[in-house]
Amino acid sequence: MDTENILQQKLISKFNDLDDKIRIPRARRIFAEVTQEKFFEVFDFLVKELGFSHLCTITGLDEGEFLSFIYHLSAENGVVVNLKISVPKRKPIIKTVTPYFPGAESYEREVMDLLGAVVDSLPPGPRYPLPDSWPRGEFPLRKDWKPKTGA
Amino acid sequence: MSAIFSILIFPGILFISVAALFAEFLDRRIYARLQNRFGPPWFQPFADFVKLLGKEEVVPKDANAVMFKAMPIFAFASSVCAFLYMPLYRQNSLFPFNGDVIVVLYLLTVPTLAFFIGGWYSTSLYSRIGSVRSLMQLFSYEVPLFIGILSAAVLADTWSLSQLTVFYGEHNWFWLFNLIGFAVCLIALLAKLEKVPFDIPEAETEIVAGSFTEYSGRHFAMLRLTLDVELVVGSSFLAAVFLPFGYSFGPIIGFAIFLLKVLFIIFLLSVARTVVARLRIDQMVNFCWRFLVPLAFIQLLLNLIIKGVIVR
Amino acid sequence: MADPRKFKIPIGPQHPALKEPESFSVALKGEKIKGLDIRLGYNHRGIEKACEGKTFIQDVYLLERICGICSHSHSTCFVQAVEEIAGLAVPRRALYIRTLVAELERVHSHYLWLGVAGHEIGFDTLLMYTWRDREAIMDVLALLTGNRVNYGINCLGGVRRDIDATQIKEVIKAIDELEERTKYYIEVATQEVTIIERLSGVGILSHEDALRLGAVGPTGRASGVNRDVRRDDAYAAYAELKFDVITDDHCDVYGRTLVRVKELLQSFSIIRQVLKNLPDGPIAVRAPRKIPAGEAFNRYEAPRGEDVHYVKANGTEFPERVKVRAPTLANIRSVKQMLKDRYLADMPIVIAAIDPCFSCTDRLISVKHDNKEKEVMEWQALRSYSIDWYSKRGVDFTELNKKLEEKFKHK
Repeated sequence: MDTENILQQKLISKFNDLDDKIRIPRARRIFAEVTQEKFFEVFDFLVKELGFSHLCTITGLDEGEFLSFIYHLSAENGVVVNLKISVPKRKPIIKTVTPYFPGAESYEREVMDLLGAVVDSLPPGPRYPLPDSWPRGEFPLRKDWKPKTGA
Repeated sequence: MSAIFSILIFPGILFISVAALFAEFLDRRIYARLQNRFGPPWFQPFADFVKLLGKEEVVPKDANAVMFKAMPIFAFASSVCAFLYMPLYRQNSLFPFNGDVIVVLYLLTVPTLAFFIGGWYSTSLYSRIGSVRSLMQLFSYEVPLFIGILSAAVLADTWSLSQLTVFYGEHNWFWLFNLIGFAVCLIALLAKLEKVPFDIPEAETEIVAGSFTEYSGRHFAMLRLTLDVELVVGSSFLAAVFLPFGYSFGPIIGFAIFLLKVLFIIFLLSVARTVVARLRIDQMVNFCWRFLVPLAFIQLLLNLIIKGVIVR
Repeated sequence: MADPRKFKIPIGPQHPALKEPESFSVALKGEKIKGLDIRLGYNHRGIEKACEGKTFIQDVYLLERICGICSHSHSTCFVQAVEEIAGLAVPRRALYIRTLVAELERVHSHYLWLGVAGHEIGFDTLLMYTWRDREAIMDVLALLTGNRVNYGINCLGGVRRDIDATQIKEVIKAIDELEERTKYYIEVATQEVTIIERLSGVGILSHEDALRLGAVGPTGRASGVNRDVRRDDAYAAYAELKFDVITDDHCDVYGRTLVRVKELLQSFSIIRQVLKNLPDGPIAVRAPRKIPAGEAFNRYEAPRGEDVHYVKANGTEFPERVKVRAPTLANIRSVKQMLKDRYLADMPIVIAAIDPCFSCTDRLISVKHDNKEKEVMEWQALRSYSIDWYSKRGVDFTELNKKLEEKFKHK
């Protein structure tokens, strides 16, 4: 658990308010929650300073009042940091991470389509994965969305 | 009367069609056996043909219907026509005249042009790309094919297929001089027939079926038959020019020997397409101009020298 | 068409080069590709949403059906995540069996790829040969798990079936044979001129681009990205096994081919180690129906690359959220880079070279029930039903069947 603890220390010494927001459930897994304001600082630090060079995916969660997004970042040595941010459901705006990982475009389009997130400053492009005829304002992965019967 | 018989029955439309379908079966069977498969039964090409005749025919809305429908007939007619000039069981063909070598070569070019025009007028994007490709391919293999055939004719000092066979009949082992040309022409024939590695104009994983994409029913059956006829005519042509022996045993044995030669060439073509992958169009053009054309010219030069030194 | 030299041709949603529906729209100038639009989502089936309405146990089987080829990857990845949340200690024998099936799956997937790649470059002979050899692996998988695809070997807390000594013998026999064949294919791939002509220098993805675009699996490794979840984030029995991570610096389709065929040899070695060191003991522990609240994130090296599952449990028997990211989604962005200014003829092989699996990529919408009584049929019943159906319409198979049976009797 050494590498994980060292990483935790590094994160906390840089960002004091992360003190009680970091969990290490098992080897090579770190779960951290950050606020929306701090997100890019932490993300930048992880990618540029700590060598987390691969974005596995972005998971979107519907947590009632909030929509949460988990950015799964992995490093060469197999450690994965799961960086979570929450935004209010009424105004679910997140900023794009495509400047860091151009490949993240697919993941961001997915949370846009399925959870109704608004990704700021993502260039326009074809939607994914729902069809172009999909009605506006219907986001299948939200908990209050039920499939129409017979459709 | 006998002219009509030879045009319609033997060696005309009926015979060549049956032979062509049988050749397709052979090609497919050999291909399959080499790939460790069973392959189709002997009647498969016939069944395919009959099935296609009964299928609904769709002409694309934007296509030029006249050209679209006329081209398969053009292609078929010209390739069947070319067969009439083949010396089948004797040294003379049915309608020999001086210059029929050139006529056969041009008759064999017509189907490719017909594919191009038919594909172009069907307006589908896949067809158009396929058409352009087949034309591009035509410009590459036609030159080595012509030079290869003509250098054999130069040695015999004639433009007539019949006199060519007569010449090689008199000079028993002279056909061995033409082996380079034979190899060049075999490869060029592979390109003409649009078979792997030169099936670029109809590469199914890229452009579906190339020029043939929009064809269906009767006209598609006609196109497929044309390709098969081309296979037989091309093989017979090469057999007549490059393997010109065995005509001296009377018509029946002569015909049998001729068939064997054609089968041998078809076999070579099938093996060739089993062992290689498809080339890209730029690689194909490169290959033809870098290797085939120089080889064909070497053959021509060789024959000119031989002619000057030995024949005289 | 404004400029007659410029085309925009659709490759897909239905196209012979693609085994599954996806749409690539290619802008062409002559034979050169000038632009490429990728539209995914034609295979979206709503599996992630469906998972939330089913229990964890049902989900194992549902997720297995994300993809027909890498089914074991998805089910293992999910099962591992759930076991982590529930704190289950999976018996070692189960871990070894999972590893065994995983590697067999990798072998059959890579063989499948080799055949498809051959077909895409018009080399059907390679397709026929590799797929014939692949049958041996399929038979072994059927022997071990009962199924040729969608093995259903995983269950929460272990595996469903044990293996015995005769089965081990069969597996080793098949592996020996296939190893010989693989060496032959390596020879073919490195010596056959037309293959090299068509593959090398095609679909170049530089090391930097591979990192930037997040390429995973053989696609990334062929560009020198030294990443393999089996080594970096060892799961199942991989920590106890010896194997090399194959990388290559060709950065093109040829490199991707080499990586895959060399990985085959590694897989054979892993399978041998697993069979040799197979520990004794139980094959499963009992898993609770209700999984305690928690979350887990699991990675798995599928044949196509890194497969990722995120599972969140809320203390009931239904998961709160299941998120799947299949390797193809991570690789598909690289295709655009690879095809820049290339020829149209290279397109099929370049797309094929990432070993795309669009079913995986799109996942997810449950099947519509049309209120019909579900008819379950045995294979025999289904067969006789079809024979009946045809004989009513005047097609008689009895003669043909007899002939076929006779033919196979001689063998």
